[in-house]
Amino acid sequence: MIRSGIAVSRRDFLRSGLAGSALLALNGQVPAFLRQAAADAANRSDHILVVLQLSGGNDGLNTVVPYRDPLYYAHRPELGIPAGDVLKINDEVGFHAAMRGAAELLEAGKLAIVQGVGYPQPNRSHFESMDIWHTCFRKTQPRRDGWLGRYLERVPQPSELPALHIGDEQQPLALASQEVRVPSVASFEEFRLQAEPAVRRKLEALVARNAEQNDGLLDFVRSSTQAALRASQQLADIAKSRNTAGGYPRTPLGERLATIAQLIGADLPTRIYYLALDGFDTHAQQPAAHAALLEQWSMAVKAFFDELEQQGNAARVLLFSFSEFGRRVQENASQGTDHGAAAPVFLAGPGVRPGVHGALPSLEDLDDGDLKFHTDFRRVYAALLEDWLGLADSAPVLAGKYDPVPVLKKAT
Amino acid sequence: MSHDWNSIDPQWAWSPYEPDARCPWNRARAAHLFRRAGFGADSQQLDQAVHQSPQQVVDQLIEPPADITAFDQSSGDLVAFALATGDVHRLAAWWMHRMLRSPFPLQEKMTLFWHGHFATSAEKVADAELMYRQNQLFRNHALGDFRRLVHEVSRDPAMLIYLDSATNRKAHPNENYARELMELFTLGEGNYSEQDVQQLARCFTGWEIRRKQFRFNPYQNDEGEKTLFGQRGKFTGDEAVELVLSRPQVPGFIVRKLFRFFVADEPAPPDQLLQPLAEQFREEDLQLRGLLRRMLGSRLFFSDRVVGSKVRSPVDFAVTALRSLRATTNVQMLSEMCGKLGQMLFYPPNVKGWDGGRAWINSATLLGRANLVRQVLSDPATRFDGGGLLDVARRHGKERPEALVDWLAELLLAVPLSETTRMELVDVGRAAGNETAFREVLYLMMTLPEYQVM
Repeated sequence: MIRSGIAVSRRDFLRSGLAGSALLALNGQVPAFLRQAAADAANRSDHILVVLQLSGGNDGLNTVVPYRDPLYYAHRPELGIPAGDVLKINDEVGFHAAMRGAAELLEAGKLAIVQGVGYPQPNRSHFESMDIWHTCFRKTQPRRDGWLGRYLERVPQPSELPALHIGDEQQPLALASQEVRVPSVASFEEFRLQAEPAVRRKLEALVARNAEQNDGLLDFVRSSTQAALRASQQLADIAKSRNTAGGYPRTPLGERLATIAQLIGADLPTRIYYLALDGFDTHAQQPAAHAALLEQWSMAVKAFFDELEQQGNAARVLLFSFSEFGRRVQENASQGTDHGAAAPVFLAGPGVRPGVHGALPSLEDLDDGDLKFHTDFRRVYAALLEDWLGLADSAPVLAGKYDPVPVLKKAT
Repeated sequence: MSHDWNSIDPQWAWSPYEPDARCPWNRARAAHLFRRAGFGADSQQLDQAVHQSPQQVVDQLIEPPADITAFDQSSGDLVAFALATGDVHRLAAWWMHRMLRSPFPLQEKMTLFWHGHFATSAEKVADAELMYRQNQLFRNHALGDFRRLVHEVSRDPAMLIYLDSATNRKAHPNENYARELMELFTLGEGNYSEQDVQQLARCFTGWEIRRKQFRFNPYQNDEGEKTLFGQRGKFTGDEAVELVLSRPQVPGFIVRKLFRFFVADEPAPPDQLLQPLAEQFREEDLQLRGLLRRMLGSRLFFSDRVVGSKVRSPVDFAVTALRSLRATTNVQMLSEMCGKLGQMLFYPPNVKGWDGGRAWINSATLLGRANLVRQVLSDPATRFDGGGLLDVARRHGKERPEALVDWLAELLLAVPLSETTRMELVDVGRAAGNETAFREVLYLMMTLPEYQVM
């Protein structure tokens, strides 16, 4: 497609039914660009994974509130969310009152919560625990790539943007790979050619010339430049025609999720998007800060799926949210909570089996004051890799065999 | 690449380049040498170079010039300012300034090579002074003695923090540095065993950092017998480094990496092609200067297949054009922008350093490159030899659009423009014949695929 000069939407192409082995069998008689598209289609699922990291350690107990458990209110005299305020999920737990968007997603069958996720011998350092989540390895083991990076290495990737990190923080280690380079872009603006239309046209004309066919570096750069100009033009068009009243919060998170929705709508071949929402390290004065974060998160994710529904892309997209750890069961003396261990994770999208999966860890049987995990986070990753992204075996990526948490509808 | 290196005779490849009718010594080949061995040449340097022999020019590039001392002095004042802020990003801007202005560009290029080789990130070290000291270590040994460099890196505080020497204790040896020393710094994967890693880690126990200095802590040092590469002994850390450096794979491993950095990104050359260089490196006891002199002065280096066979790194992309046009700009902005393009100085992505080659290129980075040029050209701090681009062009008698395009192409491009592309650019330059039009020509040229390779 990149070299053809003919605009073929990859997705249209997939839908046309030509994709896959029938066309591959015609190898040699089909134009190169069609062959490539068919190979792409045969090798990749159409699914997209958006990872939204909650940085700082989200207080799981005040996110999915055990409003029937007197122990919860005993440990949280100041911070406990009153039973009357929670948005009830079931007879046991309910969302923090600020999470209206999440409640609506759940109602629509598009949100799943996995309780009690963590890992053995929890580490309470932000940096170390996040690294464990990102790499699946502990400090004592060599770690130079992340779980998503290893996934990208194992499946054939489109040459263009197999994954994208959107944000201005350091690229998450989860995306690190020895072979695949994942770009980080802070904003939509960065993906736009900052040039007058006349200059852009001139550039397009110059780059389109001299398209001699060889496998050399120059040809590679030329086809990449053509693709980049085309993608940037597509995005510019979409940005122009975009209805800006999308219900997103007016925050970097809202803008970034809106950007991702645009990129998905623009039919980029990107399969993995990664972004982060920081600020969950609520050691003091937690209530207002935490409520604002949860409201922002819920609102943004809801708006994101509303937009995807309008585009007709929602069924292809799954959003996964996790934090490096939960927080202490017992609140501290500063109206805050300290670093803890197990916590719930969230999966959003029409592909989930909605509702709560797994029991709330006991508030009585604690590990040094923290909730005990019962579901290893790699079991959630296994579900994402196998049941969503269609990887046959997640064991090499996760450095071990993990039974996928049955939180997703089985792939069609 | 459609062709590999197999058809090339290694003896021919590394014999001294002697210009002939097929491969003449001209401004284009001189510019190639300056781009690879540094960050490009300005017009005057090319004028001088073609009146010398290629070997003379290589010799000049490889030896410290007389004015480096004065430059180092003024650069030292600048770095003191950067260090006072404690901000590693300021340090990155300082280094960017050195690359733009140093009279000894090969030293900076090799410093960049070692930074990518012994990759250490300030993300973890989080100390501008230690990053600076490591950078100076690379600079001091840039073209010197690889053996000494490895010994000193093994005691370098930034490195030892980055690779967890703090936790390398007798009771719990941390294998991180031991493993990377062999895998990434000297031998390459497959040239040591897991047992070697464990045993080497024991030799380094007690190598600590205290108050930002290396310190040997005898209480944490494992003095027992170790078995390394089949040899038994109560090896100290220094002895162990020597054992590693005496392995037969070291010269070939380093030569291969230098080949990719200076000669061509791809395909990977066969050992046979690198053999003469590896032998020389071994015979010269891992001294770098002679090796580089031979590599950069060779027939293969100046051959058509090598010119244009590397993707420009973000730093090469940004610095070469500015240096070639004697331009100055806001170096802080420049280094941050290189960061967005994937090469933030002092922040390599991991211990393996930057992958380089095709990995620099994707939609986001290509658009980012174009936007970087746009931003640099519109920044009021950007000056060409103290003035406008038009002024410089006039001074060199290049104010006609044809002359401008050809002159810029000679300075900036390793591969020729097609005639149609050339004429299009001339049209752009003709449109107004003023500063804006000239800058538009430069913008387009730096955004073309042709400028992304070197």
